[in-house]
Amino acid sequence: MQIKVNGQTIEIFAGARVGDVLRKFSRNEWTLVRKKEKKVTDRYGHEVGLDGELNGGEELIIEACAPAEPCS
Amino acid sequence: MKRALSSGPVLRLLLFALLGVFVLQSCASLPTSETTGSPAPAEASATTRSVLKTESTATTGSRIVIFHSNDVHGKIDNFAKVAAIIDAERKSGADVFFFSAGDNFTGDPVIDRYDPPGEPMVELLDRLHLDLLSPGNHEFDYGIEAVRKLSARFRTISANIYPQPGVLPELRPYAVLTAKSGIKLVVFGLIQTEPGSGLPSTHPDKVTGLRFSEPLAKALELKKLRADGQVFIGLTHIGHDQDLLLAKKMPELDLIIGGHSHTRVETQEIVNGVLIAQAGSDGQFLGRVDLLVKDGRVVEKKSRLIDLSKVKDEDETIKAMIVKFHQNPAMARIIARAPLEITGKNALGCLMTDAVRQVHGLDIAFQNNGGIRLSRLPQTITLHDVYTLDPFGNQIVQIDMTAAEIRSLIKNASEKRYEIDLQVSGISYIVREDAGQQIKEIKLLLPDESPLPEDRTYKVGISSYIASSYQFAHKDPGRSLQTTTADDLILYLQSGVNLGIYRNIQRAFWKKGAAPSRN
Repeated sequence: MQIKVNGQTIEIFAGARVGDVLRKFSRNEWTLVRKKEKKVTDRYGHEVGLDGELNGGEELIIEACAPAEPCS
Repeated sequence: MKRALSSGPVLRLLLFALLGVFVLQSCASLPTSETTGSPAPAEASATTRSVLKTESTATTGSRIVIFHSNDVHGKIDNFAKVAAIIDAERKSGADVFFFSAGDNFTGDPVIDRYDPPGEPMVELLDRLHLDLLSPGNHEFDYGIEAVRKLSARFRTISANIYPQPGVLPELRPYAVLTAKSGIKLVVFGLIQTEPGSGLPSTHPDKVTGLRFSEPLAKALELKKLRADGQVFIGLTHIGHDQDLLLAKKMPELDLIIGGHSHTRVETQEIVNGVLIAQAGSDGQFLGRVDLLVKDGRVVEKKSRLIDLSKVKDEDETIKAMIVKFHQNPAMARIIARAPLEITGKNALGCLMTDAVRQVHGLDIAFQNNGGIRLSRLPQTITLHDVYTLDPFGNQIVQIDMTAAEIRSLIKNASEKRYEIDLQVSGISYIVREDAGQQIKEIKLLLPDESPLPEDRTYKVGISSYIASSYQFAHKDPGRSLQTTTADDLILYLQSGVNLGIYRNIQRAFWKKGAAPSRN
């Protein structure tokens, strides 16, 4: 299935979760999300968990957390 | 003049009436986060994120509070806080409901491996008086019998699951709940299905005896249910993207409470007039929806997430239950005995990959050394040992690969530290490096040491970690087999396999090149 991460299309196995897609996109970004220095949102701005399940065609955005509102 | 004289009392009456309407409306309207001066004690420190007040023409009406959770995945630690919050609201006299949008199971070995599996979750949901459950794909991970027990204990709904006679007899497509005020809530359930298989994302063997249909198409057939109550709700486990599509196609709904995508819908979202809610995952948040119903329809609705990390109050009885559940005696249960300890990455890796290959009937399986977290397995092997050996919960991914693609995988893995990184089952392999310490050749051998035929594809099992982290050529993107490496190892160990074969076993070899000449 295909998932877009920060606008880049990632081809990944069917049944992949958010964390799998992030690792394939960038190990560094995945690490930063795990360390809660960054967060992942869907295309509507809602935060999603690393174990979140995906359907093909979905879109993820990795973004830094605001200093005033750290990632939880 | 006459008109002016006579208008005095009329004006006063009008003003009085307007004031009365304002006071009544203030009482009946849902409190917004801005106007909530004193939240319920258990929530006093909780985060209030969003509020949107829709049309508010009511002068009186019935308040309904729906708490909801989804994708808790066996994480029970916050249940004492959830109980305190819901109990406080119930004691306030409000019409309170508690819904689950699925995937209570799978994700914490202590809960997954309880006897019977998931029992702590069932007990806790029962203590919280769960009103309605819409099963998710992972509710089926323990098999149909576990879902049957769930549906016997809780009202369980899903409109796009069609059980064969005798299978899940208590499952219903929808439920009509009656609030204390007499308001009727019509709620239907939906479960996610995969585009290819048409099944939910669980192992196909776990849903034998059930048929499924595409959830959105099914939902559209249910529009007529709108007439059966004053509040119309979809309790879904189809993912947030699909919930948005559902709202666009079905404005008859007042509310969608969703799950599956682990989405934190913290800012209130209304699409096509439908309020959409979802409460993240792992029991970190509790969702709350407030509805005001008047004249047979919802006139106000708002949602928010309660951040449970900021809640202090806990139900002491539930807290004690959680402590007890964490001491799951099943984790100490011996599931296999080996004639000797199984030691070292080679032997443990061969055991783990044999398990994956055998359980799924694959040709070849790989396991990376980094995923082997013990240096030895004792002679008496417990569930706890397996989860210590393999704690990551990685899924098994099947990719159909050619011999050249398999070499590409081994080459990428070997180049990480210039040593053997992948343990293997189904074949053995030799990595040869040249004098310049570059990989010169990767030889793939069948168990009889003949070369692996180059002209066919092989069913290869790897962990989701390898599938997503390693760079290698493969035309087939692959598919999750919906089990974890630990699940497979437990099944393999319980099958009574002779563990004596894992003494001094090795299938991956590194041949160093000749040292460069000093001349």
